[in-house]
Amino acid sequence: MRFHHIVLLLLAASGLLEAQVTPEAQQKRMEEMERRILLLEEQIRQLEGKDAPEPGAQAASPPEIQATAAQGAQADAVLEPVLPPGPVPAGPGPNDEPAAREPTSQTLAATGDQPPDAQLSVPSMDDLASSETRLPVSGYMDFHFNKVRNEGSQLDMHRFVLLFGHSFTDRIQFWSEIEIEHAFVSGEGELGELEVEQAFVDFLVKPWLNFRGGMLLAPVGIQNERHEPPSYQGVERTFVDTFILPTTWFDSGAGIFGDLGNGFVYRAYVMSPLDASRFDAGEGLRGGRQKGFQSVTQNVAYTGRLEYHGMPGLALGGSFWTGNTGFSVPGINPRVRVLEFDGRYGISRFELRGQFADVDISQTSQLNTFLQRSAGVNPNIARNMRGFYWETGYHLRPRHLPHDVLAFFRYENFDTQRKMARGFLPLRQFDRQAWVLGATYYPEPDIAVKFDYSILRNESSIIKPHNSLNLGLGWWF
Amino acid sequence: MKHKFWLLIFAVLLAPLSAAKAPLPALAKTAEEPNVRVVNMVAERFFFVPSRITVSAGTTVKFNIRSADTNHGFRIRKAGINVVVPKRGGGETKVVFHATQKGRYDFECSKPCGAGHNMMRGTIIVK
Repeated sequence: MRFHHIVLLLLAASGLLEAQVTPEAQQKRMEEMERRILLLEEQIRQLEGKDAPEPGAQAASPPEIQATAAQGAQADAVLEPVLPPGPVPAGPGPNDEPAAREPTSQTLAATGDQPPDAQLSVPSMDDLASSETRLPVSGYMDFHFNKVRNEGSQLDMHRFVLLFGHSFTDRIQFWSEIEIEHAFVSGEGELGELEVEQAFVDFLVKPWLNFRGGMLLAPVGIQNERHEPPSYQGVERTFVDTFILPTTWFDSGAGIFGDLGNGFVYRAYVMSPLDASRFDAGEGLRGGRQKGFQSVTQNVAYTGRLEYHGMPGLALGGSFWTGNTGFSVPGINPRVRVLEFDGRYGISRFELRGQFADVDISQTSQLNTFLQRSAGVNPNIARNMRGFYWETGYHLRPRHLPHDVLAFFRYENFDTQRKMARGFLPLRQFDRQAWVLGATYYPEPDIAVKFDYSILRNESSIIKPHNSLNLGLGWWF
Repeated sequence: MKHKFWLLIFAVLLAPLSAAKAPLPALAKTAEEPNVRVVNMVAERFFFVPSRITVSAGTTVKFNIRSADTNHGFRIRKAGINVVVPKRGGGETKVVFHATQKGRYDFECSKPCGAGHNMMRGTIIVK
């Protein structure tokens, strides 16, 4: 309502001034006023959320209106008349959806050089309103069928994830990810999980230096930050990303990130540490994640990642995580150090990727002894864990087509008992290898119908793992 | 033996970097139009390739943007540009940017594309 009053006052004031000028000047001012009214109407529609982009409506709008909307939003650029016939792009709307367009070649011309046109300038409040934009909700879902040999089969709504964000200004943005695992959360421990995996605010300063704080994903490995079902092969995430790197690894923290140029980007955070009292022999660090639940920050962890993606199809990365983890075990403060390298490359119809991860934990002798005394069971935590995998995929159809089938093979080697402290023996069933063979059918790029067969082996002569057959349906929207 | 293992890992991961020093095909001046720069850009979770473009003032930058996976957005806030880059197989988006004023023009993905959507950014530097 306040905005409407301002509009009415502006119009009234303009009308009073008009009475004092010549007819020619009056005519000119009338034309100018009409333009202003169009502009203000557009702004009002945006504020009232009535201008959600609809392809048909955009196509019907005259180019002048589109240009005005764009200029009102940014005040230093003007869209030129749209060059080709067809749908016209819109300026940023209240829901921040880009212009919806036909999925063919599209053209937009814009200048980055024109100063603000004083005649079209708008109140600063309008500028603020136009720059504060809201993103729609997106998300991904993952539905699985798993059959482990000699065990019963199960259907699982494994993940239901919603992502949404908000732009407070051009340079202050919020992003979040909320996940429900296994469909049902009872709060009694053994069923599903409801997690806030990401909820942070970015403060954008320079391309090479920006700030971020809140609930963050640890920037370690391929899948921790890149886990939408269509973006990886296999129904389940890799064993290395489950038992060596505890994906999804998230916690509260803050840090910096940016683009260093020549294809290099980085992230470096200070985060809440892991809890060493919950490490174990089989799943390594996994139980030690605090997940932002009143995270103890007696110690802090430092983590970072450097990525290279200067060539189309190629992405290389290296990451580290280091921190003391002994806040809940008196007198013992084991240091955990994670080092990781990964690479992905797509060429012709082939998709190649690999990852290596190495984990060192100090003071494991004291830690195992303390936990055995307090809990009655020796957790047999290793002082070194290591895992790696390589994967080859082949597109059965040319990769640029949306309708695709990709066959893949992956070899994984992962050992959560690789090196033990003096006086402790490794449990050989946790020195494991996996051969995963499968295929992913993409009826369209955002839907993945997956199949794989996983052959598991370990070094134990007593305890043997079981192979599994897995089917999955995952989608992104 | 341990050192050899690490050397092998580094060699495998870093070998493609030497190839990366070759001129990128993504940037090219057209022979007919000396002040036109054509940028063939790939948008993929969660980066643009190339992500940093430097041009001289007065250059017209023609972006041909295609996606390697899902829908992305391409937005240059300072220029009022905000368009969809269609999914893999959906064609390419062409954007013409007249870079006649010096400055920095940040671009970003404006269509949520995954967990790392906020990392997907780039810069046009007009000198």
